[in-house]
Amino acid sequence: MNTFISGGCKNGKSYYAQRLAQDTAERESRPLYYIATMIPRDEEDRARIRRHLAEREGWGFETIEQGTNITGILDRQEAGEDIDMGGVFLLDSVTAIMENEMFPRKPKGGAGEEIRTDLRAPERVKGEMLHFAGAIREAGGAVVFVSDGIYGDGGEYSSSTEEYRKALAGVDIALAEDCERVVEISYGTAELWKGRASEQPQNREPAISKLRRSGTPERENR
Amino acid sequence: MILIFGGAYQGKLDYAKANFRISRICDCQRAEEPDPGADCLCNTESFVMNCVKKGEEAKDWFVKNAEQLENKIIIVTDVSQGVVPIDKDVRAFREMNGRLMVYLAEKADRVIRVFCGMGKDIK
Repeated sequence: MNTFISGGCKNGKSYYAQRLAQDTAERESRPLYYIATMIPRDEEDRARIRRHLAEREGWGFETIEQGTNITGILDRQEAGEDIDMGGVFLLDSVTAIMENEMFPRKPKGGAGEEIRTDLRAPERVKGEMLHFAGAIREAGGAVVFVSDGIYGDGGEYSSSTEEYRKALAGVDIALAEDCERVVEISYGTAELWKGRASEQPQNREPAISKLRRSGTPERENR
Repeated sequence: MILIFGGAYQGKLDYAKANFRISRICDCQRAEEPDPGADCLCNTESFVMNCVKKGEEAKDWFVKNAEQLENKIIIVTDVSQGVVPIDKDVRAFREMNGRLMVYLAEKADRVIRVFCGMGKDIK
C-alpha cells in the first residue's frame, strides 16, 4: 500500500513519514529504505545532509541516493544492486526531485553553474513517479511519498516558479489519486484524506517528544 | 450556495465539474466582471484583484447579486497562507480575498476544501 503525504514546511511531515514507513516495515518484516533526493551543491547542503543522517540514525533505514529519475532505482535493482522491491521505500521528497529535474544545474566553464528550465520535466516526473509506485506495489512493497504544500501563498512569483508550483501540484494530484492513503500534516497533526484511520502509525518510541501527540484525533474522510 | 476553496493548482474546478452538474462556467480570469447567471464562478480571486485596482470591495458585488447566486458554485483560491506580500496591491488583494471568503463561507450551505484533487466538507 502506497501513501502520499503533504503539508506546509516544518510541519512534521518527514517525522510522520519516517514513523509510518518504519511501522509498516516492522509489522511486515520488510527492509526499510530511505530515498535521499537532495543533490548537495555547497557546504550548507552537506551540513543539512549530515543533520538528516544523524536524525535518521537508529531508525533502521538503508539510504538509497536518487536525486533524479526515480525509476532509476528499478534499473539499479535489475542491474544487480541489492534492493528488495518488496521493501518499504520512503521518498522524501517529491519536491526535491521535481526541482532537480526541472532546473538541472550544469557546471559552467570556470566558476558558477548554469541553470536552465527543463519544460518536459513535469510530465516525465509524473510518469516516472506513477511507474515507480506501480512497480513497488506490484512487488508487494510500499512507497511513502512526501511532498510540500506550496499553494497557499498570495504573492506573485516569477514565471518559472509558477511553472514549478503547477508542475508539482500536477504530480501531487496524480499521486494522491494513485496512492491508497493520503495524509495532510498540519503541525504534527495528521489529517486523513484517503484510507483507513486504523492504518496510521503507532505513537511509540523512538518517538522523540519534539512533536505534540495530543492534537486533533485523526478522522476518516467522509 | 456552495463555496469551494483550496490552494493554487489543487484541481478545484475539476473537482466541481466531477461532483456537480455545471453547464455554464464563468472564468473570472477572463471576464471583466463575474456573470451571476453562470452555474459556477471560478478563479474568483482574479475578480478580487480587479476590484483592488479599481478601489472597490469585492464582497459588495456578491452582496448585490446574492439572490441570483443562491444556487451557484463559487470557486476561490486560498491565498492566505504565505508571508505578507511586499507589494501594496497584493497585500490589499490578500486581505480583500479573505474578507470575501469569510462572507461567502457564512452565506454558503456547503463549504468544501480541495486538497490534491480531493474535496472535504468543512461546513
